[in-house]
Amino acid sequence: MNAIEISEGYQVKLEIFEGPLDLLLFLIRKKKIDIHDIPIAAITRDYLEYLDRKEQINLDREAEFLFVSALLIYIKSQMLLPREKDLAEEEDPRRVLVNRLLEYQKVKAACSLLREKEDDQLQQWKRNFLPPLPGEEDLDFTEVSLFDLAESFFMIMKRKAAQDFRVIKGKDISLEDKMKEIVTVLEKDGPIDFLEYFERQEFLEEALVSFFCLLELIKSRTVVAVQDDLFKTIKVWLRKDTRRTHPHD
Amino acid sequence: MTERLKEIIEALIFISQDPLTEDRIKGVVEDAPVEDIRKALEELVADYDARNQGIRIIPIGGGYMFATRQDHDPWVRRLLQIERKNKLSPASLETLCTVAYNPNVTQAEISALRGVDSSGTLKTLLDKKLIKIIGRKKAPGNPLIYRTSEKFLQYFGLNSIEDLPSEEEIAKILQEEKSSES
Repeated sequence: MNAIEISEGYQVKLEIFEGPLDLLLFLIRKKKIDIHDIPIAAITRDYLEYLDRKEQINLDREAEFLFVSALLIYIKSQMLLPREKDLAEEEDPRRVLVNRLLEYQKVKAACSLLREKEDDQLQQWKRNFLPPLPGEEDLDFTEVSLFDLAESFFMIMKRKAAQDFRVIKGKDISLEDKMKEIVTVLEKDGPIDFLEYFERQEFLEEALVSFFCLLELIKSRTVVAVQDDLFKTIKVWLRKDTRRTHPHD
Repeated sequence: MTERLKEIIEALIFISQDPLTEDRIKGVVEDAPVEDIRKALEELVADYDARNQGIRIIPIGGGYMFATRQDHDPWVRRLLQIERKNKLSPASLETLCTVAYNPNVTQAEISALRGVDSSGTLKTLLDKKLIKIIGRKKAPGNPLIYRTSEKFLQYFGLNSIEDLPSEEEIAKILQEEKSSES
């Protein structure tokens, strides 16, 4: 049978098709069928053969494939119904499907043209490719999660502990003062390197307070913590829109 | 003035990170008539092309920008230490294409056209700022409506949405595919 020939010639997985329409178009092309006059029974058989090749059905992904098989069977059943007289062309039960396929075929063709354009453009470098300087709306970096921050923080703390980090009592550091200090530093010197900043803290207590401050500042959306890339250093930026306001004002 | 104008515009394009539009140029060189600006732009583009240099000025996304030439891509990548630039996934491209040819389209309509649920890819495209939400449709459930963004034009090197491959170009592709089969 034709479909088996295909399966032997090409090991085609369902995954490579963008969807049921893609698969249908592929089958139609393989069999060199006129899209306007699809032999529904034959194409349904081929189509189902593809679905059968899957051992399990992943409903999330394949529901759409199943839907189209139901549609194919429905169309066939409509065509089998005895009629008094021949159907006019507009009443052909295949019409809805054919229209969708034609429409989809156009999208595919346009895609291939756009893909060429994409290729061309990716080879022409423009200056805006360089990462934009921090303007608040087009921060392209990933904002880090609390978990990332905490992890980095504990890493430093461990390192500090190894350096015989002595705690000297008697210096009270208020959250509020520290927060103002951080904002001032950010305003004056621009973004700070998260790790470096804590490394610079003299006392464990101070480092801890700074960390809480940072969390508070992130929460109040005064600052934003970003990472260029996984495993790169975490940087803290001041959000531009809040430059003049303080978290608790 | 015309010679000076050309130089000025060249400088303006040079410092712009986004496509510089005629309007923006007009805002800067107020006393120059629009026709002169347009003429200067055309000449600039032609000058660079004629000189065959490392960079050129290209009309893109409704404005003008400096860009390297395609044949220099390997060297630029070596400098920036980039193996290759990521392309859009087939699903993203297909969804994007559907939106581009059907402006003001809803998620359900896109999914129906593609025959595949497209909510995930739409989100990716929104994150990449290649499409934007322009409102809600006055229909049951008030679904969001999408269209392509300015960044979309830039990404594909189109100057305006009219530069999308035309019906004829698409028909030609389909014809070629057909003839290559038989």
